[in-house]
Amino acid sequence: MTSQTNAPASIPNRAPLSQRLAALVHSIIGSRYFLYTLSIAIFLSIWDLAAVNKVLGNFLPRPVEVLIQLWSLNAEPLASKTLFEHLWASIYRVLIGWAIGVIVAVPLGVFMGLNPYVKAVVKPVFDLLKPMPPISWISLSILWFGLGEESKVFIIAIGSFVPCILNSYNGIRLIDPALYDAARMLGASRRQEILEVGFFASAPAIFAGLQISLSIAWSCVLAAELVGSRSGMGFIIILGMNQSAPALIIAGMVVIAVTACLISVLMERLENIICPWKRELPQ
Amino acid sequence: MEEGTAAMKNGQAKIEFQNVSKTFIQKQTQRVHVLDDISLTVAENEFLVIVGPGQSGKSTLLRIAGGLERPSSGRVTLDGQEITKPGPDRSMVFQTYSLFPWRTVAGNVEAGLRFRGVEKRKRRETAHRCIELVGLKGFEKAFPHQLSGGMKQRVGIARAYANNPEVLLLDEPFGQLDAQTRILMEMEVQRIWQQEKRTVLFVTNNIDEAIYLGDRIITLDGKLPGRLSGEYKVDLPRPREHTEVEFLSLRRKITDSTQLIL
Repeated sequence: MTSQTNAPASIPNRAPLSQRLAALVHSIIGSRYFLYTLSIAIFLSIWDLAAVNKVLGNFLPRPVEVLIQLWSLNAEPLASKTLFEHLWASIYRVLIGWAIGVIVAVPLGVFMGLNPYVKAVVKPVFDLLKPMPPISWISLSILWFGLGEESKVFIIAIGSFVPCILNSYNGIRLIDPALYDAARMLGASRRQEILEVGFFASAPAIFAGLQISLSIAWSCVLAAELVGSRSGMGFIIILGMNQSAPALIIAGMVVIAVTACLISVLMERLENIICPWKRELPQ
Repeated sequence: MEEGTAAMKNGQAKIEFQNVSKTFIQKQTQRVHVLDDISLTVAENEFLVIVGPGQSGKSTLLRIAGGLERPSSGRVTLDGQEITKPGPDRSMVFQTYSLFPWRTVAGNVEAGLRFRGVEKRKRRETAHRCIELVGLKGFEKAFPHQLSGGMKQRVGIARAYANNPEVLLLDEPFGQLDAQTRILMEMEVQRIWQQEKRTVLFVTNNIDEAIYLGDRIITLDGKLPGRLSGEYKVDLPRPREHTEVEFLSLRRKITDSTQLIL
């Protein structure tokens, strides 16, 4: 009897119907996917209830309205651009700004980790700039580069720069010295040591830096587009605010979240392909 | 190697430590005296075990022989040539394995040959032979994180052999293994060494391991700076039994005359 209650899945077919039914219910309720669905359903219900009862005044749309808004965004252009054109405008800025930040930061961080003189020159300035939130550069950036693309790319580059340089520097600095010893004992020259051990051992940390900076780049592009832009997801959101259209705002937020999520999944895949060994390295 | 030449060379000095002392300077002012006036000769193809408790400088002694550290005074020679840096004539096996996690088993084993610019086909051939020697056939494409501790150290040993060194330096190679695996690996090392004789310097804190493996055992004092405190010849036929009377009496002799209790 006790063994049956402990293992409902293994109840033989001959068991009474009520017991088999109980086992079925138990296995459904215990299922992960059921719980996931339940969790999201509860969230949407509470949201819908709050919207219908106007808990947040007139400015909380129902989930259905957001869906409809998404659909119509796709159909009718906004400021003469479709949803995908706005999305692409944001992605394009993110990619350019992020790439610039990465191309400058990774080599700089690596050299800081390898060479104490480079570190002594770069690190004090970097430490000074590090705690400044990238978004605080927006005003200066607009004064310097105007309201065009350059100012947005600048913000994104600055935002990407910080985690990239930090992770590259630490990635190199925290390499287990025993790995260098092993390479030296095996006959590696100084150059081979850096290429073999330095490059590979720091790769997971550098990759983590790329991922962190990409998510920061997303917040930066939104902030930059909120301040002054005629395109991009930030523009859609600010338009929603100006037009008192909360469904438009939330639709924009959803698109951003889904895109950022897809990109980070893509990055993770890429990392697994490029660094298949990374599980062993402490992060 | 043919038995004749091996026997002929046997007894010749391969490595000589001449009055080696080592002092580390920490934080620019603190001086740590690790080794004091060590003089020691290792014969060709001898299996010499250095036993000492933790913090007795035994690893430093090995690192000096490897060329990873320079002695503060005195010198170490290999075939009469002073050792100043790592070289292809010496290979090291590390306590923490120090495998390259980004390389497969085969990639790790042929790493030394790659550094030396040996062509790919030859590398593959040597790696294959060494992997077979340590009993890891079939695991060539595995990554280190997929292997158990014992298997990792087999890779470490194969990697050391792949360079075809004259001297093997093993730094507490089984320190991280459980007791069962440790004994198994000791048997394996003995088999491999008998199959491919090399001059071996083996560092351990385990007296059983020392008696099981060594031709000769050198003990280090328990306190820094490390000093040689004893020398024991192990004249037992291989493979040895941990429970043989001679084994046990030698063990008692070593524990009685040193501060080692294991």
